Amino acid sequence: METILKRTRTPQTWKERLDGRLPEELEREIDIFETQVELRRRGEMDERLFAETRLRRGVYGQRYDNGHRYDGLKTRQLAYPDVATKGTDTVWDAPGMVRIKIPYGKITTAQLELLAELAEDYSDGIAHVTTRQDIQLHFVHIDDTPNLMRRLASLGITTREACGNSVRNVTACPLAGVCQTEAFDVSPYADALKTFLLGHPDVQDFGRKFKVAFSGCAEEACGLTNMHDLGLIARTRISESGGVQRGFEFYVGGGLGAVPHQAKLLDPFVTEEALLPLSQAVSRVFARLGEKDNRGRARIKFLVAKLGMEEFRELVEAERATLPDDPRWTAYLGELERDVEAPLREPVPLATSEEDLSKSFHAWRGTNARRQRQAGYHTATVNLPLGDITSDQLRLLAGIAREFVGDHIRLTVEQNILLRWISESDLPALHRALTGADLGAPGAETIGDITACPGTDTCKLGIASSRGLAAELRKEFVQLDGAVDESVKSLRIKASGCFNSCGQHHVADLGFYGISRKKDGRLVPHFQVVLGGKWSDNAGSFGMATLAIPAKRIPEVVRRVTDLYVSERENGETFQAFISRFGKAEIKKFLQDLAPIPSYDEDPSFYSDWGDPREYTMEDYGEGECAGEIVPLVEFGLQSGEREVFEAQLHLDAGSADLASRLAYKAMLTAAQALVKTELLDITEDPGDIVGEFRSRFHDTGRFHDRYAGAKFAAYLFRAHEEEDGDGSELPQQLARSRVEEAQLFIEAAYRCYERMGTEVTV
Amino acid sequence: MTALPLDSPELSVKYFVEDSSAVRVEELIPVFHRWIRESVLEDELLIDVANYAHVPKGPGVMLICDLGQYGLDLRHGRPGLRYRRRRVAHASPQDRLAETFRSAIRAGSLLADEPALEGRYRFRTDEVELVIYDRLRAPSALGTLEAVSPLLGSFVTQLYEDPAVSLELTSRSNEPFAVRITTQEAPPLRTLLSRL
Repeated sequence: METILKRTRTPQTWKERLDGRLPEELEREIDIFETQVELRRRGEMDERLFAETRLRRGVYGQRYDNGHRYDGLKTRQLAYPDVATKGTDTVWDAPGMVRIKIPYGKITTAQLELLAELAEDYSDGIAHVTTRQDIQLHFVHIDDTPNLMRRLASLGITTREACGNSVRNVTACPLAGVCQTEAFDVSPYADALKTFLLGHPDVQDFGRKFKVAFSGCAEEACGLTNMHDLGLIARTRISESGGVQRGFEFYVGGGLGAVPHQAKLLDPFVTEEALLPLSQAVSRVFARLGEKDNRGRARIKFLVAKLGMEEFRELVEAERATLPDDPRWTAYLGELERDVEAPLREPVPLATSEEDLSKSFHAWRGTNARRQRQAGYHTATVNLPLGDITSDQLRLLAGIAREFVGDHIRLTVEQNILLRWISESDLPALHRALTGADLGAPGAETIGDITACPGTDTCKLGIASSRGLAAELRKEFVQLDGAVDESVKSLRIKASGCFNSCGQHHVADLGFYGISRKKDGRLVPHFQVVLGGKWSDNAGSFGMATLAIPAKRIPEVVRRVTDLYVSERENGETFQAFISRFGKAEIKKFLQDLAPIPSYDEDPSFYSDWGDPREYTMEDYGEGECAGEIVPLVEFGLQSGEREVFEAQLHLDAGSADLASRLAYKAMLTAAQALVKTELLDITEDPGDIVGEFRSRFHDTGRFHDRYAGAKFAAYLFRAHEEEDGDGSELPQQLARSRVEEAQLFIEAAYRCYERMGTEVTV
Repeated sequence: MTALPLDSPELSVKYFVEDSSAVRVEELIPVFHRWIRESVLEDELLIDVANYAHVPKGPGVMLICDLGQYGLDLRHGRPGLRYRRRRVAHASPQDRLAETFRSAIRAGSLLADEPALEGRYRFRTDEVELVIYDRLRAPSALGTLEAVSPLLGSFVTQLYEDPAVSLELTSRSNEPFAVRITTQEAPPLRTLLSRL
């Protein structure tokens, strides 16, 4: 009877519903995060530490979360009833964003359906595809994030290290595996590196974020490896034995931001066996030598530029030589074929005559469909306006994919979704199905398919409305209904809300980033015009900043520059060559008359931004979280110990004495390990090693000794270690309680020791 | 104790516009900004306006609040004023229903009277959509409809002073539970508001 009752009882929470159905490690991580949320809410976890912790779980701030907002006339306080914070100047109840990593954009139909649910249940019914193959949900309350993460984990998705100073989503060409020009499919390598680096101890102490991208070839744009911290391009060569050997051109130090850097070649051919260890070595050098104080110069590109490639390479090689062997470096190579995609349907040629196909199908196929390397198959791009898709559309798309391609779906860095392995004969039916879901718009990867970061819509750092501008430009191109000159059709427009380049404006033919200018004491939203960036050749070169133009005149800039290109281009001249030939001075002269700002009386519309009728201000500009918080590794360790003591207390209260005492012991080990790591980064997880190193480095030297209690607190750890190592008998409740109390005292002693260490600490 | 569907704090109520052709969703943007500036909804903490006008059949233009979201919603191609209550756990199901209906009806009345919209936004009251965004407590199934019907039916009957209330499950199994409420009576929004 009891069993039946258990079975029929409706789970009250997602934790209950998904109990035992999540990967163990993810389940544990999320439980820990939920505890940290609770600790912070009670004020028992440091605000800065919690901020970096949540960022590393993909839980990001959003505009106005400092509790202030300009309403068009004045800045007013948003009077949240609860004054708790989730970071410096970040109100607990203020809506935030959750970034969900979709490694190399590979996503399944079930995952699309899950995202539909999550967008509905916790956000605003919209999933946003980012320029790095992530999904973002906005207006999410932090209290909902643990359950949101559990539901993601049920389908193998994590938000871990989606933000903060960590290895962000590993991206790759969405055509990987089906591309005409690739050396080989980079997907399994991207997967292996993603898995290897996720949560790896060597990537937990970066001064800034670290982005990795894979490309199957050098010529196309899709991988954008030149603008990444670590860029990998597939290469093959003939080995000494005469066989084909796979490897990668290995680039480091690329990046956009305010100061864009082209990635530099570290090694022209890194074998597949050497890919993971070399990436690990680069990570360790970055963690050790990268800037930590000046956030504006903390990306690896600055370290590479400072040292020069030769010295950087030497450091990496030296680091590589010291790395202890790790079986994971090559274990995945035996499984490269594991995830090779099998098409859902046989390849059948299109039987319908071209004349019988609709005009809209022709337009869509011309821009959105592409032949695969595999004969008879195509890919099709689902063109999303501003990267946004509704929950209903996600469900419909999942159904369409199930019918035509199965789980062969990728997100793209142009904020679209790619369906792969479509039999040619299915293209008309697929287009009809997509059109039925309002997803059949043509113009993918053309001038009208505009990329934009969130900008002032939701980003704290946004200066101008990149989405508002993109929506306006998109509207104009939709009205043109494809009637643009062939020469400009494939140009790219990309807009960022500020100089930080999340919209990737540097590598667009026509790029724009938000700035502001003043006229008669009033601020006016502007965009800096950046022309001639190269999207192809993996983001081959950066554009030229020309001049600042009022936001409301940017559509005129686009019309004028594209018209000029159509009329003045010389035979076959690329847009980059054209802009280069004209030169900055001429372009500036050509656009100069658009720069003056009319007075407020003449035209007040210039004083508000696209899609936002409020009079423009910079007062909503906040402190961004892109840079995360610099929190020394030791503080994470000490906080973990503290959290484990908290959990031990909960077990004790629930009558689980044995669990409580074990967790209390573990808490002391964690804190001791954190201290040891300040001197020995590679300390193992073995309790014997940790206790041994702690004893020799902190106890025997007297550094851990309390001013009044002497070695008393260290003795708590030693005794617990001996007992845990003993006969395995359970501690009675009273002794378990003492163990938990001792662990609490040990953690506090560890904090005091850390404080005394002061400036000695380098890790 | 097993939770009931209406125990969920996550409810929405949508009143459909009478004339879809009159809707130009982006014109709601300045209206909602003004509502924030003038604290038009005095008991709400109004935060921001979210514009999804570019997404077909999407959430349209939304007014984001601390405890809920208002929006001129375009879902299923049927524009309407949706109010979604969030994050209120402690009121009774009856109170939550009343609060959600009251917020939706009040916002609908304000839009209908909004000078900038020139009276083009009128809402029919004989059809309402109620959604529960809680897949644990309120899966999209007939069982949920049966569970919510007594309380919901009685609430609407009382609100509309109409015994002929009909409830119909409209959501698919993978969607949030949605029920179409139809009534014979179609009192004006103001009248409904006065009864809450």
